[in-house]
Amino acid sequence: MSAGWYPLALADGIEPGTSAGTQLFGKELVVWRDAGGAAHVWEDRCPHRGMRLSFGFVRGDRIACLYHGWQFDGAGQCRAIPAHPHLDVPETIKVATYRVAERAGVIWAADAHTEAPEPAARDALTPIRSLYVDRPVAAVRAALAGAGFPGADGAPLPFAGDAGGLLAFGAPEPVLFAALQPFAAGRTALHILAVGAPAAEDRVALAGAAEVLRRALEGASALAEAAA
Amino acid sequence: MSLVLYDYALDENCYKVRLLLSILGVPHETVAIDMFPGSEHRGPAFLALNPRGTLPALFADGLLLTGAEAILAYLAERFDESGTWLPADPAAFGAVLSWLHFAVDELSAAARARAHAMTDAPADEAAVVAAARAALRLMDDHMTKREFSGGRFFVGETPTIADLALFPAFALSRDYGIDHDEFPALRRWIRRVRAVSGFLTMPGIPDYH
Ligand code: FES
Repeated sequence: MSAGWYPLALADGIEPGTSAGTQLFGKELVVWRDAGGAAHVWEDRCPHRGMRLSFGFVRGDRIACLYHGWQFDGAGQCRAIPAHPHLDVPETIKVATYRVAERAGVIWAADAHTEAPEPAARDALTPIRSLYVDRPVAAVRAALAGAGFPGADGAPLPFAGDAGGLLAFGAPEPVLFAALQPFAAGRTALHILAVGAPAAEDRVALAGAAEVLRRALEGASALAEAAA
Repeated sequence: MSLVLYDYALDENCYKVRLLLSILGVPHETVAIDMFPGSEHRGPAFLALNPRGTLPALFADGLLLTGAEAILAYLAERFDESGTWLPADPAAFGAVLSWLHFAVDELSAAARARAHAMTDAPADEAAVVAAARAALRLMDDHMTKREFSGGRFFVGETPTIADLALFPAFALSRDYGIDHDEFPALRRWIRRVRAVSGFLTMPGIPDYH
């Protein structure tokens, strides 16, 4: 993973006691939230036989692997091996972990040794959705910078700059933010948030606008050409 | 009353029916049919019972019912005293039927992709996986928007047979090479379906012990 912080999910979308798989530059990661609400980002591989930990299940402050039930605590340390209940689990059985920050309604991760400053906090945002698009991140970025974000009423929200890892849209004041996740080669995730507290029907309209954006980015359209 | 379900444990359409029978607590008999590798559903004995040669097949007091979605509707109509699994309200009824149609039509790509992955059934793998992914996106788009007003299931406030008809294609998507990573609203939705009282697993859908 390159230096810096990367968005992986909308914070609201990962409920306590659940896990989700994702990718960053094609590397599989697990994002999980323990019962106490703390988010964790790890390499998505069980040290036992390599099963994706995101297929597993969270119990309290541990995540358990689906295959043979090995349990890992919040630091990635294996704490229990069901087949050997009396074993004092060696400290060396550990999952590689990442640094995590929850800012602006998004779960961000960085290399454990990163020196990059944490993403900026930003209040009063409402999550809209995560959108997964089969286009490279640079192309998505270029298309959004050029054409803006489709607005709920059809009129595009103009691109208003990059604010601490979030692309801002709308004038004179931003009304929408998007954090871009380099998912894998040719694939990007956009984590989209609205400014303020829009009503349910406005959130539905913005989520619908995101579908329009995905069709435009992936299909034959002016926006796709801008992204090419 | 006699209900006999002709069933194959690894078939996602049979699973839909097993789910509703369990949720509604309907007593029934099950006859296992060896679909793979035995192709028993294409053999003379089974064809004599169900000339379509399809599973699941339900005999309800002698009446033959075929097609998982039709069987779900029959069971809900006959045994669901709450009236919530197939709601009578025209708008909700229509929406449930639309999703049942989606399960038969768009999601047939998922069934074909899975059959191809698990039993080598012939299919254009890239095409069926792409079609299944496009269908799952539509489902995720729908549930994303439902959640804004507190919707927890595909139609209405409580689970319906639409949720059961749609569930296996996503819950089993890893069988045919589609991860859950790109479908956050569907990840949340399948946890709600799993929490329904009477829920059952099948091979490929883990029991979180
Ligand atoms: S692969 Fe994870 S416990 Fe065996």
